[in-house]
Amino acid sequence: MNIFLVLFKKEIKELLTRQLLISIAAMLFIFAVIGKSVGSHSRSSGVRNSVVLLDLDRSPLSKRIAGAMRKAKAEILPSGAANIAAALADPQFAGENSFILLPAGLEKDVAGQKASRVEYYSRFRRDASGLGPALAAGRVRKLSTAVSGAVSAWALERRLPGLSADLLKDPAPAREFAVIDGRMEQVPVAQVVAFMQSQSYFFPMAVFFIVMLSAQMIMTSVASEKENKTLETLLSSPVDRRLLVLSKLAASTSIAAALSLAYMLGMRSFMSGINSIAGAGPAAAASEALARLGLVMTPSGYLLTGLSVLFCILCAISMAFILGILAEDVKSVQTLLTPLMMPLMLAYLLPIFIDLSTANFGIKFLLYAIPFTHAFMAPQNILMGNIQQVLYGIAYQAAVFAAFVLLAARLFSGDALLTLRIKGFKFGGGGR
Amino acid sequence: MNAVELRGLTKKYKDFEAISGLDLSVGAGEIFALVGPNGVGKSTTLKMIATILTPTAGTISVFGLDTVRDAHRVRELISYLPEEAGAYKNLTGREYLRFMAMVFLKDHARAEAATAFGEELCGLKDRLKDKIKTYSKGMARKLLLARAVMIRPKLAILDEPTSGLDIVNGYEIRKTIKQLAAEGTTFIISSHNMAEIEFLSGRIAVINKGKLLACDTPAALRVKFSTEDLEEVFIALAR
Ligand SMILES: Nc1ncnc2c1ncn2[C@@H]1O[C@H](COP(=O)(O)OP(=O)(O)OP(=O)(O)O)[C@@H](O)[C@H]1O
Ligand SMILES: [Mg+2]
Repeated sequence: MNIFLVLFKKEIKELLTRQLLISIAAMLFIFAVIGKSVGSHSRSSGVRNSVVLLDLDRSPLSKRIAGAMRKAKAEILPSGAANIAAALADPQFAGENSFILLPAGLEKDVAGQKASRVEYYSRFRRDASGLGPALAAGRVRKLSTAVSGAVSAWALERRLPGLSADLLKDPAPAREFAVIDGRMEQVPVAQVVAFMQSQSYFFPMAVFFIVMLSAQMIMTSVASEKENKTLETLLSSPVDRRLLVLSKLAASTSIAAALSLAYMLGMRSFMSGINSIAGAGPAAAASEALARLGLVMTPSGYLLTGLSVLFCILCAISMAFILGILAEDVKSVQTLLTPLMMPLMLAYLLPIFIDLSTANFGIKFLLYAIPFTHAFMAPQNILMGNIQQVLYGIAYQAAVFAAFVLLAARLFSGDALLTLRIKGFKFGGGGR
Repeated sequence: MNAVELRGLTKKYKDFEAISGLDLSVGAGEIFALVGPNGVGKSTTLKMIATILTPTAGTISVFGLDTVRDAHRVRELISYLPEEAGAYKNLTGREYLRFMAMVFLKDHARAEAATAFGEELCGLKDRLKDKIKTYSKGMARKLLLARAVMIRPKLAILDEPTSGLDIVNGYEIRKTIKQLAAEGTTFIISSHNMAEIEFLSGRIAVINKGKLLACDTPAALRVKFSTEDLEEVFIALAR
């Protein structure tokens, strides 16, 4: 046989361990879970296309605008309120996120060659996550295009004398407002969305890497002490075994804490930068509007986020410690990370697709049972004022951490350390 | 009082019985050797004496202390060298000795004295300031052996101490062991080197498949099996 094939076959046999297949199966499982819950979630909450329309003009033009919006596949819910505040407060529309206001005198303004101002209000839930905010921004864009088209067409049909090209180009400039928790600010929705996404995508991603790094660090450390038998030597020494566990945890935690501190500092400058990118409008004005909406981190907010991340790392480290005890050697660390990867991936990916504030109980329970979720969601919750939820999250993480440390200490004081192991059987090989 | 007493010692890994009802006693100051073919349970027995595995049945006492109930006090008397052990690769030889001395003795002055003794024993001289990852297999083994005996334990448990050492180094280690035994340390060693065992040990226990087959001085064993060569005794028993 070709020598290359001989070598190739050997490499495949070396790589294709049972653990690897289990990891692959685990990944498939996670994506299936995410796909399923995203599907059921969007069916139940209905990726909304409804818009509350507050028509204060009540003119042929405003009827025409409503028609254009319907053509743009929006489900129009007419509101009889006298002003936007009343419409927003209307319990009938408590579940609605998009409101459009056609101001009184709209038709007269256009007839008089004045650009009319249509107002778009996007309401965000305190604990909104998932694709909701981004969809809201997209909806505003789509609807404002439809509205402009309708107004231009109306003006052209009237053959208004001296119709200016400027007016035709943008006959109904959008005035966008964001509504969060009763506060209302004029700010491009795209800007708010950019900010929220920085919370729900970029922040968890960084935490994800820190957690993986520290977990791998301690697992490799335990597994290599096992492989080198330096652990056996330490275990036969008159040092309290709990001290052995504690010193390892403490050392990894200090390094991980330094990592997260560096990260928090990095995030600060990242966050101050994020307000100036994305979206329209002058950056300074927009970031002031975001601040007035409460979308700004205070020092205590950073502290709380840091604390949540620290406990997230502690949980990961204590779990990784146990997995390290089970590891046969350093080589198996990689695949033994799978049980840690799975909840981590779920906690990271699900909130990107699903709005937790409206998710069903099962999904919520699954996510909040994962201690990492609490850290991922911390900045969002802090910004939205859900301090209590962050504190509960930290308490839960602390409890999980304590449970795993106790388990680790137990495993450390018995035979398990030397006899328990998850072996990387080769396919076809097997046996001792 | 005997240094080590095994009574009906049994160890099961899941369903597999690695040691079945072993009875042995080792006197204080003795150099006692465990021999037997690969995989018969020598290392398992040594690990149980070293308190890092617990017996499934039977008892072990070390200077009168039970290795399960009084594990912590036993650990203050012993020093264990695992087979094929490694060290912390990023420490230098000297740092490693100092660290282990502190772990075992918990006292700066005593640890310093032990470290100095260890540095002398391992014979690595200038290389002690290099990281362990730059050491050859034999150099690392000498360092680990020095570590195991530098604290002058009452009982040293050495699993294949001289495997991987050259003739000169092996010889020097054996001399050191003999000298320390004369100064009062008890040794339990396992080995596959019959010449070494002949030179070192007062008594030999031959085990096979977890059971004790013979336990006597090398001379007595040779007489019993009417041969000049200890290896032939071993081969006869291993069958
Ligand atoms: N952690 C373990 N789990 C299951 N079986 C084990 C374990 N450790 C050892 N064994 C089995 O117990 C038996 C005795 O092993 P042990 O290491 O004590 O042999 P040994 O006499 O030291 O051999 P060698 O001369 O090769 O070092 C072997 O059959 C081995 O496969
Ligand atoms: Mg062995």
